[in-house]
Amino acid sequence: MRNEQQEIEAYFIPDTIQLTSFTTRELESKQGKLILKYPVLSGEDIQCITETIKANQKNYLDKLQTTEVIDLVDAAVQKWLDPDYHWRQLAETWLPVITGYDAEMIRLELKRFLRTFRKKELLRFLVEEFDDPAVLDDFRPRKKGGLSKAYGPDLILHFFSGNVPGLPVWNLVMGLLVKSGQLGKTSSSEPLLPVLFAKSLEEVDPELAKTLAVLPWKGGEDQLEHPAIQAAEAVVAYGSSESVENIRKGVPAHKRFLSYGHKISFAMVGKEALTLDLCRESVHSLAEDVSVYDQQGCVSPQIIYVEQGGSVSPREFAQLLANEMDHYNRKKPRGPLLESEALAIQSFRSQHEFQIESSVYGHPDDTSWTVVYHPEPDFEPSPLNRTVHVFSCTHLEQVYPKLSSYRQYLQTAGVAVGPDRLFKLSEDLGKAGVSRVCAVGKMAQAPSGWHHDGQFNLLNLIRWTDIETSAEQHAEQYDEDSE
Amino acid sequence: MRQQTKQMIEQLLSFIIYRGSTGKDFQELALTLFSYQFEHNLPYKKYCQKRRKTPLTVKHWQEIPAMPIQAFKELPLACESTRTPEAVFLTSGTTNAEKRGQNIHPALAVWDGSMMTAFKQFVLPEQQTAAIYVLSPAEDLNQHSSLSRYLTNAVKHFGTEDSRFFFKEKGLDMEALTTALKVKESRREPVLLMGASSAYVHFIDYCTERDLTFHLAEGSRIFDTGGFKRQSRELSREELYESFSRVFDVGPNSFINMYGMTELSSQIYEVTAQSPRFEKVNPDWVKTLVLDPETLRPVKAGEVGVLAHYDLANWNSCMAVLTEDMGFETENGFVLLGRVEGSEARGCSIAVDELMRANGK
Repeated sequence: MRNEQQEIEAYFIPDTIQLTSFTTRELESKQGKLILKYPVLSGEDIQCITETIKANQKNYLDKLQTTEVIDLVDAAVQKWLDPDYHWRQLAETWLPVITGYDAEMIRLELKRFLRTFRKKELLRFLVEEFDDPAVLDDFRPRKKGGLSKAYGPDLILHFFSGNVPGLPVWNLVMGLLVKSGQLGKTSSSEPLLPVLFAKSLEEVDPELAKTLAVLPWKGGEDQLEHPAIQAAEAVVAYGSSESVENIRKGVPAHKRFLSYGHKISFAMVGKEALTLDLCRESVHSLAEDVSVYDQQGCVSPQIIYVEQGGSVSPREFAQLLANEMDHYNRKKPRGPLLESEALAIQSFRSQHEFQIESSVYGHPDDTSWTVVYHPEPDFEPSPLNRTVHVFSCTHLEQVYPKLSSYRQYLQTAGVAVGPDRLFKLSEDLGKAGVSRVCAVGKMAQAPSGWHHDGQFNLLNLIRWTDIETSAEQHAEQYDEDSE
Repeated sequence: MRQQTKQMIEQLLSFIIYRGSTGKDFQELALTLFSYQFEHNLPYKKYCQKRRKTPLTVKHWQEIPAMPIQAFKELPLACESTRTPEAVFLTSGTTNAEKRGQNIHPALAVWDGSMMTAFKQFVLPEQQTAAIYVLSPAEDLNQHSSLSRYLTNAVKHFGTEDSRFFFKEKGLDMEALTTALKVKESRREPVLLMGASSAYVHFIDYCTERDLTFHLAEGSRIFDTGGFKRQSRELSREELYESFSRVFDVGPNSFINMYGMTELSSQIYEVTAQSPRFEKVNPDWVKTLVLDPETLRPVKAGEVGVLAHYDLANWNSCMAVLTEDMGFETENGFVLLGRVEGSEARGCSIAVDELMRANGK
C-alpha cells in the first residue's frame, strides 16, 4: 500500500456554499496518514445550507421520476461494488482505524450491505410499501375511487448512528426514494462513510448531490440543532433512549419525528436443531451473529436460549459456541475496547464465575470473547463486545414470561426450529414485542424492505394528498365541452 | 482457631505493629499468607487453580491472583470458619441491596492493629490524642460497618475526653455539632472532624442555608472517607475541599481522606499535608497494583488501569482484592480516578445500564 498523507473533508455540502473555518483530526496507520477536515459551524451556516438544499430539492429532485432516482442510486452503488473504486478503498483502509473494527470484517460486511441497494432491491423495497410506487411521482387512481399522491418531506434531518459502518447510507437512500432534501448529522464514531457515499452520488449526478448535506457536530449543540430542526419537515433520530428523548424535546409536535432507540436481540435453538450434525451449523452461525461488528448492532444477539432434549445438551452447546467464538476471533479479532468496556466484561465474568449455577467460558488472556452458561432461563443483557449468555430451557416456550418486562426493547429473534413450530413460535414472539424473526446466522443482515423495529420505512416519511371522487365529479360540471 | 492461624496472626501483627520492614519482608509474608489462604479458603483455591496459580507456581507477590470484589457478595470467603466471628462487615449495598459483600473477621486483632498503626502514622503523626468530632454512626449504631468500627476505635484510642459522636439514631445532629464547633472556635482549640464524605455534604448544605461558617483553630483537621454512594449530591474532591475551606476556614494542608473498603482490612490515606495533591499512600503492609482491564496484567508505570490491593491484614478472606476502581501509580502511591460507570455503548445494542433502569432494578 501507498505510504502517504491524504486529506479529506469529514462533511459534504452543496458545492455552491463555502465554509470558512475548519479544524482537523489526524489518523495514522501503516498505510500512512489521513487528515479529516471538520467544519466549525454556526447557526447561520446551517440556515444557509438548509435553504440551499430545499431550493435544490424543489427545483431538481422533486421533478425527477422515482425510477430515475433509482437509476442514479444504483449507479452510485455499482461504483461501490467495484473493489478498485477509490472511495471504497479509502473506506476499507480508514474505517478500521476510525471504528476499531477488524479490517477484514468491515470489508466483508460493507460489501454485503451495499449489495442490498442495487436497482432490483430498491424496486422491491418500494413495492414492499407502495402498491403502486408511481404515487411518488403523480396522482394515481385508487381502487375505491379518487386519486392519491405521496409527498416526501422537503427536508429530512437525520441524526445518524455510528455503531455499524454504512447504516447512514440506508437512511440517505430512503430519503432519496421519497425525493427529499437531506441533512445528516454524523456520529463522531463514524463520520466518514456517509460523506463518501454523497461524493459518489455527486460523481453520478452533481445536481442530485446538491440536495444533500452531511455534517459533523457534537450532539446537543442547540445553536446548530435548533435551526436544523426548524428547517426540517421530518426528523429521524438514532441513539440511546436518552439521546433520542433529548432530540425529541426540541422537535415541535407538528413535525414528523421517527426514532430508532436502542434494542436487544436474542436467539432460540430448538432441540430438533441439536443433533450432532445439524448443531455445528447453528453454533457456527451464532458465533458469527454475536461477533459481527463486535455486537454493537441492535440485531446482534446478547442471549441464546437452547432447548434441552437434543443430542447436544445446552451446556455442550455453550462449550461448542465458546470454541467457535475463539475461531472467529482468530480470523477476525475484536477491536480494542475502552477501559470501561473491558472492565465491564471482567466484572460480568466475575459476577457469573462466583454464582454457583452459572459457568463462564472466556478467552483465558483477555476479554475478546465470553460465553456464560446458565441452567435456568432468564433474560439478562450482556456487556456486549462479544459476550453472550446461553440459557438452558426445558421448552423454548418457557422463555416468554421472561421477556415481558422488556417488550419495548425487543427486536430480532434468530431461530433454529422445525417448520411445525415456526409459526406458533413467531406468533408468540410477536406478541412479546419481537419485530423480526430470522434464521440464526442471518441476524446481522436485515434485508432491504424489512419493517425496521416493526415500522414502515418510507410510509412513515411521506404524507398523502387525496383527490376525492367528489372533486373529480364536481370538476366535470365545469367542463365547457361536456354534453 | 487452628494453631496455624494463631501463628499467622502473630506474624502479621508483629509485621504491622513493629514494622522496621523491608520490601523483602512483604514478599515473604505475602507468599506465606497466600499458601495459607490457598490451603484453607476453598473458593479462593478454586479461583487460583482455574488460573493455574498455586503456591508452587507463584514466586512473587504480584503473581498472586486478586479476588474480584463480586466474590465477596456471592461466596463465603473464610480460612477460619467460626460460628461466632468477632465481626462481619457488610458493604453498603447501594448498587444492589439484596446482595451485599461481606468480610468475616473471626478475630479483629489484626484489623485493629492495622487501623491504629496507620491512623497514628497518617492522621496523628505529631500528637498522641485529639478532640475528635464524628459525623457518622458509631459502632453501637451500625455493627456491620467497618467505618463505624474505625471511628469508634479512633475515638477510643486517640480521642480526648471531649471527643463526641454527633450521629444519633435520628441521624446527624447538626445543631449540636454547630454548637460544639462554635465552642471549640471560641476557645481556639483545634478539632479533628471525622466522617463519611456524604455526611459532610449534608452538613455543608445545612451551613450554607443558614449562612453559617466556622473559624476553626489552627491545627484542626477535616477527615473524610468514602464516596457519596447516592446518599448525597456528588462533589468532586476539589469541590469538597473548597467547601471545607469555605465552611470551616481551614487551610489546604488540613485535609485527610481515607480510602477503605469492606473487602479489605486496612485503609489507605490521602494526607494533603504529606503528599502531592490527590496521591493516596499505603501503609507498609498494603501494596497496590494497577492492572490492564483487558488482560489483568500490570500496566506500565504511570498508565491508567484497574486497582488491585494486596493487604496483608486481610488474612481470613483474601489478601489480594481486585476492585472496580480505576487509578494510576505515582511516586509514593496512586491516584484514584474512581469507579468507572458503564459508559454509553457505541452501538444501538442496548446497554446493561439502560435496560436495568428500564426494568427498575
